[in-house]
Amino acid sequence: MTARRPSFLLLAAFAAAVGAGCAPRTAYLWGDYDSVLYAHYANPQDSERYLERLGQIVQKAEVEKDKVPPGLYAEYGYALFEAGRLDEAITYYKKEREQWEESQIFMDKMIRNTQRLKENRPGPAPGGELPPPAGGTPGAAPAGEAR
Amino acid sequence: MSHRGLLLPLVGFLLLSLGCAAAPPKKDYTAFRAANPRSILVIPVVNNTTNVEAPGLFLSTLPIPVAERGYYVFPVNMVRRVLEDEGLSDPNLVHMADTARLCNLFGADSVLYVSIEAWTAQYMVITTQVTVEFDYVMKDGKTGDTIWKEHKKVVYAPQQQNSGGSPLAALVAAAVQAAVTKAAPNYMPLARQANAEVINTPGVGLPAGPRHKEYGKDPGSAK
Repeated sequence: MTARRPSFLLLAAFAAAVGAGCAPRTAYLWGDYDSVLYAHYANPQDSERYLERLGQIVQKAEVEKDKVPPGLYAEYGYALFEAGRLDEAITYYKKEREQWEESQIFMDKMIRNTQRLKENRPGPAPGGELPPPAGGTPGAAPAGEAR
Repeated sequence: MSHRGLLLPLVGFLLLSLGCAAAPPKKDYTAFRAANPRSILVIPVVNNTTNVEAPGLFLSTLPIPVAERGYYVFPVNMVRRVLEDEGLSDPNLVHMADTARLCNLFGADSVLYVSIEAWTAQYMVITTQVTVEFDYVMKDGKTGDTIWKEHKKVVYAPQQQNSGGSPLAALVAAAVQAAVTKAAPNYMPLARQANAEVINTPGVGLPAGPRHKEYGKDPGSAK
């Protein structure tokens, strides 16, 4: 009995060490981000539910500011955009840009585009507008570009 | 009794060491170090299987492990939609597009190209074998050169539980397991496992990025 105890203690210590090395806690608060993404991919018509679930993740992650995952604000902003809520979309694009300097070029384009759309079309605008490619020719003429 | 006391910790050790696989041969990270990307554009995955659900399922598993490795990951759904508006709704077209042009569009440092090579459930008499297999290639946004790549195959066949030595009990247990797997073969844990191994294995995985505390310390990181 006494001879067995050390082996268990050793195992426990080893397990703790390995556990700490193999399964670190995540840097960001992801919530159920992956299943939300998939649900929307599988059923794009369910956009209201997608917007709502993304909003919940944002809300929970925002409790600790540096735990908001990269891309989350932008993803939520785009869902707002698709729902025609352009002002809120811009707000979240700006949040993304502020938190992640790596997103600046992309967010600048999206903000510019959304603002242009807002000026030209007062009503809610469903569908995606795209930023013009840098120096390239757009593959398909986007609705937002055609005034 | 005395056997069991030894066996239990031993099995424990084996299981634990499986979790942290032994370090495979080292990779050349010269190109990666030179590119030193801070951000990664994860584009829609190419599906080389007949399973129509696979690309959506798999794409959704990618942002978390890549971002947790210390990189800015562009919002995958938004990126997919913007690419669609660009006339690139077919992932094959996205993968064939010029890397530098893709990166310019989003201001990305690099692109992660992933393709699904296998996503199958093979139904055998009393069990189901689930297989996933992926190709990962990362390219530098400036040069278009490949700076990192990996290939991963994960196979899962439910293990037969040893139910007290009765062959009949074992058979019943296996049949139940097969029925469950058959109803909904669960690929997601396997896909996550493949990603985790590919991204996090020291010496071959994705080097820690600028937002990771190991940045500059692990073998592949730019200093």
